[in-house]
Amino acid sequence: MNDLALKELLYKMADDLLILGHRNSEWTGMGPLLEEDIAFSSMAQDKVGQSLALYTMLHQLGEQTPDTVAFTRNANQFHNCVLVELPNQEYDFSLVRHFLFDTADSLRWNILTKSSYEPLAQLAGKIKGELRYHTLHANTWVKQLGSATEESISRLQKSINIVMPYALGIFEESPYETHIIDKGIFEGEKVLMEKWQAKVTEVISQTQLHLPDWKILTPVLGGRKGKHSEHLQPMLEEMSEVFRIDPTAEW
Amino acid sequence: MNSLDPRVIRLPKTGEPGIIQPKVPLDQFGSFEVFVQPKEGKSFQHEGVVHSPNLELAYILAKETFTRRFTCVSLYVVETRNVFASPLTDGNNNVYDLIVDPPPSNKKEPYEIYHLPKRGKQHIHVGQVEAGSPEEAMSFARKKFNTKIIYNVWAVKSADIRFTSIEENDFWITLPEKHFRDAADYKGGDKLKLFLEKQK
Amino acid sequence: MYGGGNTFEDVKTDDVVLEDPNRLAVFEARIARGEKIEPADWMPELYRKQLIRMIEQHGHSEIIGALPEGTWITRAPGFKRKMALMAKVQDEVGHAQLLYSAAETLGKSREQMIDDLITGKSKYSNIFNYPTFTWADCCFISWLVDAGAIVNQLANAKGSYGPYCRALDRICAEESFHLKYGHHCVIYLAAGTAKQREMFQEALNRWWPPMMHFFGPSDKISTHTEVLMRWKVKMGTNDEMRNQFLDMYVSKIWELGFIIPDPKLKKNTETNTWEYTEPDWEEFKRVINGDGPCNKERLEVRRIAEERGRWVRKALASPKMAYVTPLA
Repeated sequence: MNDLALKELLYKMADDLLILGHRNSEWTGMGPLLEEDIAFSSMAQDKVGQSLALYTMLHQLGEQTPDTVAFTRNANQFHNCVLVELPNQEYDFSLVRHFLFDTADSLRWNILTKSSYEPLAQLAGKIKGELRYHTLHANTWVKQLGSATEESISRLQKSINIVMPYALGIFEESPYETHIIDKGIFEGEKVLMEKWQAKVTEVISQTQLHLPDWKILTPVLGGRKGKHSEHLQPMLEEMSEVFRIDPTAEW
Repeated sequence: MNSLDPRVIRLPKTGEPGIIQPKVPLDQFGSFEVFVQPKEGKSFQHEGVVHSPNLELAYILAKETFTRRFTCVSLYVVETRNVFASPLTDGNNNVYDLIVDPPPSNKKEPYEIYHLPKRGKQHIHVGQVEAGSPEEAMSFARKKFNTKIIYNVWAVKSADIRFTSIEENDFWITLPEKHFRDAADYKGGDKLKLFLEKQK
Repeated sequence: MYGGGNTFEDVKTDDVVLEDPNRLAVFEARIARGEKIEPADWMPELYRKQLIRMIEQHGHSEIIGALPEGTWITRAPGFKRKMALMAKVQDEVGHAQLLYSAAETLGKSREQMIDDLITGKSKYSNIFNYPTFTWADCCFISWLVDAGAIVNQLANAKGSYGPYCRALDRICAEESFHLKYGHHCVIYLAAGTAKQREMFQEALNRWWPPMMHFFGPSDKISTHTEVLMRWKVKMGTNDEMRNQFLDMYVSKIWELGFIIPDPKLKKNTETNTWEYTEPDWEEFKRVINGDGPCNKERLEVRRIAEERGRWVRKALASPKMAYVTPLA
């Protein structure tokens, strides 16, 4: 098996989950309703937990420990899509990002339940319930706020318009795409994007929101190759502020 | 805002500092009662309340509010105003002695029945009856479940409940593995012993 | 997390004599038998008022308490700490949720409670008006402030009001993770590098005075209300709680080789109580009345959080909804 191809897949998934989990955790204690504060924090914890499982898999493939990988790399060594690193704005932005990302994420893991790479298939089976909750949460909020008041509809619409080009960046192809597909590890980003568009359309069509025309959007690419927005490096520096006081120390 | 908390520094300017807009009624929505099944084969029990704009969101919000920490297998919610409560008794007074038979009704539907076996404890699900009204449900419950002293009875129309669907049963699968939320994962004993030995 | 520090104001017991003597007798007999009071029961106005105040302040302490530790959520070192701190701060929000619901059963709406918090009308635990400068400050809170809170909460869980006891049972069960996690963090700092040890010693120096304040003013200067003890609203005096905390944790701090910044601190084996430098109660009063290092920031963050969430709540408010008091 081509290790590089597999590792590339694992890294981009792990990095996506860590960075978005981190961003979403910033809402803890500041959410719009106590109960939603709790729910959103749990999903952030799930994401960081899933990223840890993937970094652990990478460690078993010879990469450095999860803590070293997560807390000492620089932005250009991260493979996450730019979508997940964008700073939080108002809750509409976080909800729309959560909806668009988690829809893709849950479809990705669903495909991976049939992966020829056994550890990945096993993990996919295990976290099915977490993903089911995340998408139920995201779909319900988007459906309700997307059909509620003029204000909520226009806020969500504005966020969809801003976020969508970044969301298309989730599906930036890997240089090993054919290999990954041929070996049965993953069906590939193209297939995933088609499934994602269908699912997103299905949910949005139940609201008063509109999707932009996919064809005229320019996806924001580069994240998978280490090209990030100006927001990632400061985020990583903040995340590792204590860790870097002494990376050899045990905290 | 100037702060030690980077999250606070990033907060957008919102309204005027110190100017408080009082909350309007129902800003925090209505309340929903939450019931959890701790284990397969065990009864559902009342765990508490969530505030939510509607039943479906109440279910979603209740899930993390009440089932994120301790293992369980199922959950459901019902709006508080759809829970019918009997009077409350104390000492040796069985609440079923206070429940009278209402006039019989035609159309029957299922009601869930809950008992408070001891003041200070939680209401526990005891079973279902087919009745035409909450009063009738309680009177049927008296015939069916009146075996020992009970201090309070709740009756809830099954149709008013948002249950966990069969596909949703996998919500709690990874819960036992979330060790980072578990005291047992923070055993510092060995590290402490090593440290104390080094100090000697 | 909650200390005894807030039940500071004098309690006026005059009105108790105006209550219906028969109902009062039934109520008191029920408590004397060890039975809990439930929301549907008759209760004296003073009981209701005091419980609302206490549970509400406890709830505020949880939601405000999520802020000083929350400061470190984005910076916790390593996966284990990052995930634990996220879950711990989340629990504090969860505790506020549970406590506000318990207070609601007594007739005060969550809307009113949150308003009273933000306007400063209602208080919260004084200790959260101090800043967390380093990771070690955050560890101090996780371990020792939670430890202090558990001492209080275990006592209050034996109180007489059913919904509060149920909430506290749940909270105490969750706090066992917080306490273990906090101690684990501090053991790692103690057993770590010189820099790590220094970080915690400095945090200890900063936090010891507010920790001594945490349990409220000394019994010598605070008023006792016998009736609230009899009704099992207040379950122990401030000094008893403080003494119990010192009994349980001083040796654990010393064991790690840290110096508690109070030269007078020692246990009097004859009286079986701790002796210590009298905490500065003037500072305590000043901070509780708004003049602490972080009072303004804490309330402003809560105000902004509520304000930013307003459109979400407004969008989903439905005319079909009606408020009814939670049942239990």
